[in-house]
Amino acid sequence: MSRFLVDRDGETHLRLAEGMELTKNQAVLAAVGLVALLIVPDITRFTPLSFTAIHRGILFGLAAVGLNLLLRHTELVSFGHAAFFGVGAYAAAVLASQFDVSSGLLMLLGSVLAATAISVLIGYFVAGYLDIYFALLTLAFNQVLYAFVLQSGYFNYSDGLNVRPDGLNPPALFGLQLSSTGYELVLYYLTVVVLVVSLLVMWKLVNSPFGRALDAIGQNRTRARFVGIPVEKYVWVAFVISGIYGGLAGGLFALLQLHVSPEPTLYAFVSGEILFMAILGGFGTLVGPVIGGVVLVYLLVQAPFYIEYYNALTGLMLLAVVLFLPEGILGSIPKIGTGLSRRRRDPGLLREDVATIGSSLRRGVSRAATTVRIIVFGVN
Amino acid sequence: MLEARDLRKEFGELRATDDVSLTFGETDGEMVFIVGPNGAGKTTLINLLTGLLEPDQGSVVVHREENGGTVEEDITGMAPEDRVGEGLVRSFQIVHVFEEMTVRENVRIAVLSKHDKTLSMRSVDDGHEDVEREIDELLAQFRLEDVQHEVAETLPHGDRKLLDVAMSFGLDPTYLLLDEPTAGVATREKEYVIETIVEASEADGVTTVTIEHDMDLVKEYADRLVVLHEGRVFREGDPSLLETDSELRRVLLGVDE
Repeated sequence: MSRFLVDRDGETHLRLAEGMELTKNQAVLAAVGLVALLIVPDITRFTPLSFTAIHRGILFGLAAVGLNLLLRHTELVSFGHAAFFGVGAYAAAVLASQFDVSSGLLMLLGSVLAATAISVLIGYFVAGYLDIYFALLTLAFNQVLYAFVLQSGYFNYSDGLNVRPDGLNPPALFGLQLSSTGYELVLYYLTVVVLVVSLLVMWKLVNSPFGRALDAIGQNRTRARFVGIPVEKYVWVAFVISGIYGGLAGGLFALLQLHVSPEPTLYAFVSGEILFMAILGGFGTLVGPVIGGVVLVYLLVQAPFYIEYYNALTGLMLLAVVLFLPEGILGSIPKIGTGLSRRRRDPGLLREDVATIGSSLRRGVSRAATTVRIIVFGVN
Repeated sequence: MLEARDLRKEFGELRATDDVSLTFGETDGEMVFIVGPNGAGKTTLINLLTGLLEPDQGSVVVHREENGGTVEEDITGMAPEDRVGEGLVRSFQIVHVFEEMTVRENVRIAVLSKHDKTLSMRSVDDGHEDVEREIDELLAQFRLEDVQHEVAETLPHGDRKLLDVAMSFGLDPTYLLLDEPTAGVATREKEYVIETIVEASEADGVTTVTIEHDMDLVKEYADRLVVLHEGRVFREGDPSLLETDSELRRVLLGVDE
């Protein structure tokens, strides 16, 4: 076995670093994902797919990866992650429009610092709370920030701020003042690099003793305390890390949109969407939230062109995911995979599936008929 | 030595702990058993000592040998996780383990915590060889090697109890407070659970304070007996009191003789 291939329980694993290993299937998926990320600009050039929508989806997905640290490990539901996304976006915009900072990377640094500061502050107040109280408190802080920005002249009320340092051109990236197509492309690859690094860091984190301590806190807070884990402090740290992911995503979002307003970045509804992205993609997985982000944002952007009641779409999708795909898109792949391979070996199963669907349809129809009879005739 | 000084705790009208003063571990590795009828305040006392509850009155004090003299430290009001650092560790009447983790992962959390490594960012499986070795020892000590890769919630009850205690031992306790370690364990396994705990605490010189309802076990293993009744210390002394003291028998068993 070479340095990068190790044997675990008879299975070959690809070893990237100490403790970071992939099974064969995971390695294939990761490679496919990485290639897909890299060729997105080419695909969108030759197909009607929207490049910006995918880019935006990845950014919200990055915020959802951060949120997922709390959701998956400490088992806390945050309804206020738009706060960090928005603060990140506004930090970049303020630097560009109020301080004439022209470097995009400096703006990103500002986003991270601002999101850190805000999450340290909010985290201090919410770290001791659980369940519905945690959810409501995060939501409340989010709403306070939104209302404040909306009413503040410094942030230009509901119109928001431009992210054009000279009032015309996009910020410079790596010291280069690029044309708008070039800018979008360079920014996209910057996003890809940030995303991959963020995912690797998160992977390392959740597989470290600190990650296990967060799991312990999520599974049994009292026991965690009595094995000597300072629960509130650790939740606080996790909260800040998760906020930094949101801030970084928000900063990149500002650079992409070149304009930041409260509604699409800070509004509590966005918090709900970020949460939904994690669930849609599979919150039991590391990469799922990114996929959830791309899928949901893409749908939200494209749906208005095709459906009249596009606002109902999010709700319907949420229903569908909770009912039929509770482990999310990525989380369901292993199950779907084994299901398919079993059916390939045993075609009889397929006939059973058809029978099952048929009988449940019949049952549904007869139940509906009974209900109608009761409503119309008053008796069955 | 661990000392409860005039501890009092009230829940509304009920005085669950009523001016209790006790010391544990005057001799190293002492095994104290706390007995008493339901509602005597046994669990409340342990909760007060370990910091799950704060007393309305009184204090919890740790005595430590330092430079030839004894140092007293008042730990009332100290957070439970910090008391663990003082060597004060507990298990729970209702099993408290990390249900979705395997037995080994459960024990690992405790050992990592003991080594102050829970903030470490190095990967779990590599680079913590001393931790892994200690986990092996603990699993062997508590006879959990065979189930080490089972998820905690799927274990039989006796093994779950042992896991709970094994995690406590992994924290390297000076004082170990066990709230009914044999509750719900089948009679033939009770002996086995207590035996394992006794062996482990003798090996490490741990002072144990155990709440127990099975008087046969108490008689067999106790160095000292504490009887609580209606929140107060009713009797304190040799376990033979259980046989000789008729008033005690009346309180514990509800029988008149």
